[in-house]
Amino acid sequence: MAPIAVGNVVPDGKIFLFDENDQLQTVSVHSLLAGKKVILFGVPGAFTSACSLQHVPSFIEKAEPLKAKGVNEIICYGMNDPYVMKAWGKTFPENKHVKFVSDGSGEYTKLLGLELDLKDKGLGIRTRRFAMLLDNLKVIVAKIETGGEFTVSSAEDILKAL
Amino acid sequence: MAMSILKLRNSPALRSAANISPIGVLSRAFSKLSEGTDITSAAPGVSLQKARSWDEGVSSKFSTTPLTDIFKGKKVVIFGLPGAYTGVCSQQHVPSYKSHMDKFKAKGIDSVICVSVNDPYTINGWAEKIGAKDAIEFYGDFDGKFHKSLGLDKDLSAALLGPRSERWSAYVEDGKVKAVNVEEAPSDFKVTGAEVILGQI
Repeated sequence: MAPIAVGNVVPDGKIFLFDENDQLQTVSVHSLLAGKKVILFGVPGAFTSACSLQHVPSFIEKAEPLKAKGVNEIICYGMNDPYVMKAWGKTFPENKHVKFVSDGSGEYTKLLGLELDLKDKGLGIRTRRFAMLLDNLKVIVAKIETGGEFTVSSAEDILKAL
Repeated sequence: MAMSILKLRNSPALRSAANISPIGVLSRAFSKLSEGTDITSAAPGVSLQKARSWDEGVSSKFSTTPLTDIFKGKKVVIFGLPGAYTGVCSQQHVPSYKSHMDKFKAKGIDSVICVSVNDPYTINGWAEKIGAKDAIEFYGDFDGKFHKSLGLDKDLSAALLGPRSERWSAYVEDGKVKAVNVEEAPSDFKVTGAEVILGQI
């Protein structure tokens, strides 16, 4: 599948998360994101350096300015299972707005065309690092790295594009 | 059923009669791991990834540990579980082994190892979170090859975990399996705790 691009409508698919009542849910992407301005950013691996020390903190730090510009939700997405994504989310005690969801099966990343082979790093198939601004499911901004590097997909990059 | 077998097995007469592990034989006849199996021959060319931070991964060039390094010439107690950060694994299985480390040392065990189908960074974060990293060695079987080779793989997609493993434990001496226990369901925690395997060493 060709990678998702500006102008596309994101495909529908299932992802997993723990809701406000700490219940494990399978949700459809469309039902989660429809009618909203959402930032969806993807990380290759929970508990890995660039993801933990740079990518997530950048969105936690800029959450207020992003919300001030009309963003309704900021969602962090990875191919770890939902238990791991939830536990990893808890390692950021200063986080107020970023939600953590799981594409544990890898199916949704395949639909987005963003698979990344990280087998030689002990991670298996993951998602490329990316940050997207979606408005009612339509991709308005898409900053997609080639692999796991952190050069164009920070919160500042999205803020500049808003 | 497992508990009554446990009582029978621990009777001195039965223990001296034969060094068998009826629990493993009864609950999972089709696992390739049974008493007498040479674990390195059953999973040839398979490696595990020691729990590590990403930076440690980079500096070690993402090295892996062959099974021969883990098992040859050593007395090893190894237990496998479905997933880091999940209920039974965090609250019962690992704590059971952590609290019996002195007893394992007294029996001359060289390593107590926990393995799961997780990447080594996730399992590292988890081992640190539950305070078990000093006592127990944690390894990731990130692509599931180790468990698949031993017939201990299990599809847990229904639990939103994807391909994982059974909950199991084994005592392995110089690569040869001496005892093995596998739960009937991965959410059970009846036969794979530390007390059971201590009785089988």
